[in-house]
Amino acid sequence: MKRNCLIEDFEGLDSIQKRIKVSLTFPIMFKNTIWYRSLLDAEKSCLKEDKLKKIHYKFQDDKEMVEEYNADTQVLLRRAWKVKGKLGGDGKWDVEIGDPIPDATPHIEGAGADIMESKDQPILTRRNTRINLEWRIRNLPYPIETYSVSANNEERCIIIRTTNKKYFKRLQVPELDRLNLPLEQANIQCTHSFNTLIITYKKPQQLLEMDKEWYQELSKVKPIKDIPSDCKTQ
Amino acid sequence: MASIAAAQVQEVRSITRIERIGAHSHIRGLGLDDSLEPRAVSQGMVGQKMARKAAGVILQMIREGKIAGRAVLLAGQPGTGKTAIAMGLAQALGPDTPFTSMAGSEIFSLEMSKTEALTQAIRKSIGIRIKEESEIIEGEVVEVVVERAAGGGGARVGRLTLKTTDMETNYDMGAKMIDSLLKEKVQAGDVITIDKATGKINKLGRSFARARDYDATGQQARFVQCPEGELQKRKEVVHTVTLHEIDVINSRTHGFLALFSGDTGEIKSEIREQINSKVAEWREEGKAEMIPGVLFIDEAHMLDIECFSYLNRALESETAPVVIMATNRGITRIRGTNYRSPHGIPLDLLDRMIIVPTSPYSHQELREILNIRCEEEDCQMSSDALTVLTRVATETSLRYAIQLITTASLVAKRRKATEVSMEDVKKVYSLFLDEHRSEQFLKEYQDEFMFNDGSGDAPQLMEVSQ
Repeated sequence: MKRNCLIEDFEGLDSIQKRIKVSLTFPIMFKNTIWYRSLLDAEKSCLKEDKLKKIHYKFQDDKEMVEEYNADTQVLLRRAWKVKGKLGGDGKWDVEIGDPIPDATPHIEGAGADIMESKDQPILTRRNTRINLEWRIRNLPYPIETYSVSANNEERCIIIRTTNKKYFKRLQVPELDRLNLPLEQANIQCTHSFNTLIITYKKPQQLLEMDKEWYQELSKVKPIKDIPSDCKTQ
Repeated sequence: MASIAAAQVQEVRSITRIERIGAHSHIRGLGLDDSLEPRAVSQGMVGQKMARKAAGVILQMIREGKIAGRAVLLAGQPGTGKTAIAMGLAQALGPDTPFTSMAGSEIFSLEMSKTEALTQAIRKSIGIRIKEESEIIEGEVVEVVVERAAGGGGARVGRLTLKTTDMETNYDMGAKMIDSLLKEKVQAGDVITIDKATGKINKLGRSFARARDYDATGQQARFVQCPEGELQKRKEVVHTVTLHEIDVINSRTHGFLALFSGDTGEIKSEIREQINSKVAEWREEGKAEMIPGVLFIDEAHMLDIECFSYLNRALESETAPVVIMATNRGITRIRGTNYRSPHGIPLDLLDRMIIVPTSPYSHQELREILNIRCEEEDCQMSSDALTVLTRVATETSLRYAIQLITTASLVAKRRKATEVSMEDVKKVYSLFLDEHRSEQFLKEYQDEFMFNDGSGDAPQLMEVSQ
């Protein structure tokens, strides 16, 4: 009897541990992450232009972010962060997702370093779809066998290597970092066509849920009616 | 492989030689030894021992960085090396200490008030050393190609190929970057870092893979591993920026671009106050370090009384640089007043200065300077030609004699001689007038020039002299 009891006790302990493990792998809901809370707490303003929904976030630590959604498909088209130098000044937009913002100011001779990558060098852009995180690297002419793409959980990035030692890149995945989700090799897929290497990472369930939920949340932000416009000439 | 590298080196050398030669391009330092005693001839400096020794003491004062807001006056006749000493001081201080050089007349502008121009000059001379995260390209050089667009004077285009153990990338370079690459003598096989924000190049050493190219390596070549991973990295770098640069970044919406277009206009005093308090905060937290630099004002007698009184006040601030002024005037009118004062500088400011006199060069020193200039201007001169030139320098002026060097060498070249002879010097002496002979000439023929009605005093004087 006593013995039985002990075993039962033991089993009980085990099942508790199992439960803990389960709650770790099926993590803490996205709503409890620092990221989601900071999004909720941020000062938000919304602009609607045709089918484009632009949201400007001002976080409590003075960071600024802009998101652009396609209002029909609810897909995030662009996310950019304002990067300010230590010395002050206006800062520049650093694009996390979407096509880079073309530099409006012309290149002035003598400004900064006089060196940039040639036009024919690989260019990396992010373009997410509803179900995938996507990286596109243009100007990579080598065949698909050349590349090896691996998830590295220690450095929290996806590493692209080439057998001919021509290209190497560490891809950060901020979406997964923010939700404390692990990187899984099985979710990675790559294709190569028209000199472009496309790497897709299947969005985990958590992220899908959060995207959906957050878009709902955003509908509470009322768009600004009169859009301030600099161009009143026509 | 080696021959290709050698060919590239050849190409690089031929381009570095097209450097324009300035009046003080031969100055490479103050020519002092470790105990700050001046050597007779060193780093392009000749003679003027007392003034150089004094400059050495000032150099030490600046390096220690403790004393702010001192003023030094270099006073002496024209052509006695005042500007040369200031240039030498700038060279001796090295690239990390801000050195601003301006002429007294530069502050008179229609776009800016005089005091604003002076404030900007003063703030340009104070450096802030600060840690900032910066984009860095680090890799081994595979190839440097510099091409000149067709038609000679076109813009140069350059391509730089860098690699790490994992990747390889081509970069396009502009003229500025090409110049600094050539200056650093970067060649295939070197491992370098380039700061993307400032364009500063740092040579780390030669790649181990190139350890067998014996003929291409110098004696003190350091061998390093080829870097790994990505070419572009983010790293904490120590930058030196001047207070003025921070002012400009914060003063306008379009930010730092104004720095390069040159149109900075007036900067509001609130912005300066904000920045001063910010810098003070950084210094207290140990995030930044202040480097008081040097403001050199040539032809200081061109400043007027308002500037002098402004300087009086500005020098008392704890963030003032060391101000060095140079003047070739004796007792003269202070600009903007009717009062006369030594060096054209009011007595109260003179009282706050230490004055370093420069004296005329001796015959031997003149010869030495002319010799150095001959080397600088790439001109072979025979010894008797140099003797003649030295006599010209003693009788007219050093600057006139220096003018004759290149002209004489051109004359020598026309008769296909390799060396400039006495005759060449004599020829250019007769071709080009010095200031004294020009005056004589004018006096003689004054009647025949325009707007001379012949009723002045000069003709009578001429009659007297005849």
